[in-house]
Amino acid sequence: MTDRFEQTTTTTCGYCGVGCRLEAHRADGHVVSISPAMDGPANKGHTCLKGRFAHQFARSRDRLTAPLVRESGGFRLASWDEAVAKIADNLGRIKSEHGPDAIAGLASSRATNEDCYVMQRLIRAAVGTHNIDNCSRVCHSPTSFALRKSFGLSGATGSFDDIEQAQVALLIGVNPTQGHPVVGARIKQAALRGLKLITADPRRIELADYGELHMGNRPGTNAALMQGLAHVVIRDELVDRDFIDSRTEGYEAVEELAGTYTPEAVEGITGVPATDIEAAAHMYAEADRACILWGLGVTEHLYGSEVVQLICNLALMTANVGRPGAALLPLRGQNNVQGSSDMGALPDTFTDYRPVTDDAITSAFEERWGVEMKRERGMKIPEMFDAAVAGDLKAMYIFGEDVAQTDPDTAHVQKALESLDFLVCQDIFETETSKYADVVLPASSFLEKTGTFTNAERRLQLVSAAAEPPGSAKTDFEILTMVSAALGYEMGYETPSDVMDEIAEMTPRYAGQSHERIGRGGLQWPVAADGTDSPILYTDHFELPGGKARFAALPYKEPGDAADDDFPLILVTGRRLEHYNAGTMTRRTGNLELLPFDTLEVHPEDAASLGISDGDTVTVRSRRGEIALPVRLTERIERGHVFTAFHFPEVRTNLLVGSSADVNTSCPEYKVIAVSVEPEASAAPLAREPEREREPLIDAL
Amino acid sequence: MEVFVDDKPVEISEGATVLEAARIADSYVPTLCFDDRLEQFGACRVCMVGIEGGRAPVAACTTPCTEGMRIRTTDETARRVASNTVELVLSELPAAPADHTELAAVARFFKLGEPRWQGEQHPPDEDGRHPYLVLQHELCISCGRCVRACDEVQGAFALTATGRGFRANITAGLDSGFEESTCVTCGACADTCPTDAITEHLLLDLAASSATTNGEVER
Repeated sequence: MTDRFEQTTTTTCGYCGVGCRLEAHRADGHVVSISPAMDGPANKGHTCLKGRFAHQFARSRDRLTAPLVRESGGFRLASWDEAVAKIADNLGRIKSEHGPDAIAGLASSRATNEDCYVMQRLIRAAVGTHNIDNCSRVCHSPTSFALRKSFGLSGATGSFDDIEQAQVALLIGVNPTQGHPVVGARIKQAALRGLKLITADPRRIELADYGELHMGNRPGTNAALMQGLAHVVIRDELVDRDFIDSRTEGYEAVEELAGTYTPEAVEGITGVPATDIEAAAHMYAEADRACILWGLGVTEHLYGSEVVQLICNLALMTANVGRPGAALLPLRGQNNVQGSSDMGALPDTFTDYRPVTDDAITSAFEERWGVEMKRERGMKIPEMFDAAVAGDLKAMYIFGEDVAQTDPDTAHVQKALESLDFLVCQDIFETETSKYADVVLPASSFLEKTGTFTNAERRLQLVSAAAEPPGSAKTDFEILTMVSAALGYEMGYETPSDVMDEIAEMTPRYAGQSHERIGRGGLQWPVAADGTDSPILYTDHFELPGGKARFAALPYKEPGDAADDDFPLILVTGRRLEHYNAGTMTRRTGNLELLPFDTLEVHPEDAASLGISDGDTVTVRSRRGEIALPVRLTERIERGHVFTAFHFPEVRTNLLVGSSADVNTSCPEYKVIAVSVEPEASAAPLAREPEREREPLIDAL
Repeated sequence: MEVFVDDKPVEISEGATVLEAARIADSYVPTLCFDDRLEQFGACRVCMVGIEGGRAPVAACTTPCTEGMRIRTTDETARRVASNTVELVLSELPAAPADHTELAAVARFFKLGEPRWQGEQHPPDEDGRHPYLVLQHELCISCGRCVRACDEVQGAFALTATGRGFRANITAGLDSGFEESTCVTCGACADTCPTDAITEHLLLDLAASSATTNGEVER
């Protein structure tokens, strides 16, 4: 017997948006090991410490295994029948008393496409409101908005394979070796083989060490930097005139606006030396094939969506789009942040971003679903919280999202959740948010369900159950269809594959999608009816009226928050390699041993003037709130800035974040927060190292 | 370009190796230091094959094909050289490699049992400080796959080959263990290791628990 495992299931990773294909190995009914699938298009036989090792959260003792209902201040175990009946009664009551728009739902960017589609149908058809949103609101909604404005479609223009084919890659506001480790490794390997990297980030990211040029621009000045690059490209006649004339509109206004952004002026705004701006512009524009990659360091700003449009401008004027090795690749945060929005879990759009205000589209869904729907958009996440506090929103159904930890202005979110008459949480663990719930439903992790995720390359990949949900927990597909039926609305699906068939039927750009066709290799949308997919978009036309891309003439504007005498430092928040977002999963694995607590990264010179040393616990104050955590000194951050992550609920980083948000999409400004840092008088560290020995994990259950 | 593998004609691209041709022809050639994800290395001499008209067997993984080349994957001399090499490797280990490992599969292919030579064996030397990864130095056969995976797939440069001859081994960092090295816990080393010299705590726990279970069944 040479196989140690009773079963091996090929599935898709449930961590970041890279979309690694995994082999999940099972013994004694549980996933005991994960190895990379050799034929994974994004990971090519590799994975990171999250995908490969951080799977034991699924076997954690504190998994939710039965429904919980609130009773006299606490929770008690309940049957599915009781929990679902309670949901149906309360949502029915609120709907009849206050109308369907007093109810809202959140789908999850960690759930499958099928789950998200069913969730938006539940809210739109069974409840009867467009108040549906998902957590991409707080990360890449600006990317989606801008790519649709500039090119037409909401997704990367190419694939990760373009990185290896490019001569130059410009990385802005993204730290792939921490946030997207497998793509980070691919970029690093490409750089070691000759790819020229240009990095722009307030922190000197690891990949900067492998690059040609690093620009440490001040937080919130990406727009000025992009304008500076465009200025040099135009001034030095590095633009591709033929491409601009034949494939684009609106260049003249951009050319005119860029004139004012001389490298010297941009140096004044960004702090990046003018000579570096010139060198970067030449390197990018003189390459035959150049890619631009960006992350939340671009989007989570007051004008994040405008910066993405400026990124598109730069690619358009140099014709670096629609060809192999010339791609725009936003690195998506969560495993299915692309798909959850593709599926129409948004207040203004159905599948493929088709607006609810379009009568023909809404009519088609009305006919398919047998209901009537409004032609006005519903509430975005921040609007939901505002409405709850105002008393207009009475109930929420939150699926796979911990808004009380991850959304900005935590105190406001908590107040909103408290104000609700009725809250349903559907999750795999109790969370900060579920503390406010009236009913908590035990759901399934990605290792226990079937469906598809769409990665950052627009690639749909199969998710296959490698284990059973624990206890009486159910798959999200089962739960959502069951709740819908209890609300008197039968959806008529038997399996998630049926859901995908309906998505294909209702969406011309997804017409050829099916679980069978997705197979082992995946499919990159748009997928034609005959199953032909699209690794590269815009090879001969853009998906906008007239087939032409749109330049956007957008000036630099100052960020929403700025340092002053009271709050002299700028806090940037982000992600660390060992952990994933709210940490719900990774903190329940050995990754906690690798990174047991969070720290505030401070430049040694700032630390000296503040009188703090490495390891000291400090109080960080913003205009919104304060937190305490230990300090780590590093020269990787620019002076005047501090950095921390948001993975640890005990640190509560988002207490510091205000309500400033992207002007077009309401994506919060997590990246520019004016703070003060002081030594804590009573040194009682909030984040302490847990006393923990490695247990023999096989015996843990 | 056309070559013949065990008399079967196969069409290959310019620069393809003998191993690639053999794979296209569906002729099995055992390998140990080879990994598709890594640059060719040619250290283990397990993929030896015969070339008609050639003076001696060649390593399939590093030998480029030439037009009309006639490859013999079952060449007797090549098989004997490879088999003896594997047997020598096995003779240094304190115990037979676990059944699931590539080394065990190669040993089965050559029908190798207890090594004929009784020489010095590596004493057990386990480093389990990392939460996931375990080093079992005694099982290292110096194929270099882990070091190359760390360099060529991940780019963490955390592993180094150390020592010479019988003492050749690998080390994380400067023998400080994975956690103090530049390791990012991607696990590529454990994934590629053909002997379990680098493996996971959970898999060792699983092996231990199934050994116990099987023992109870036998009693």
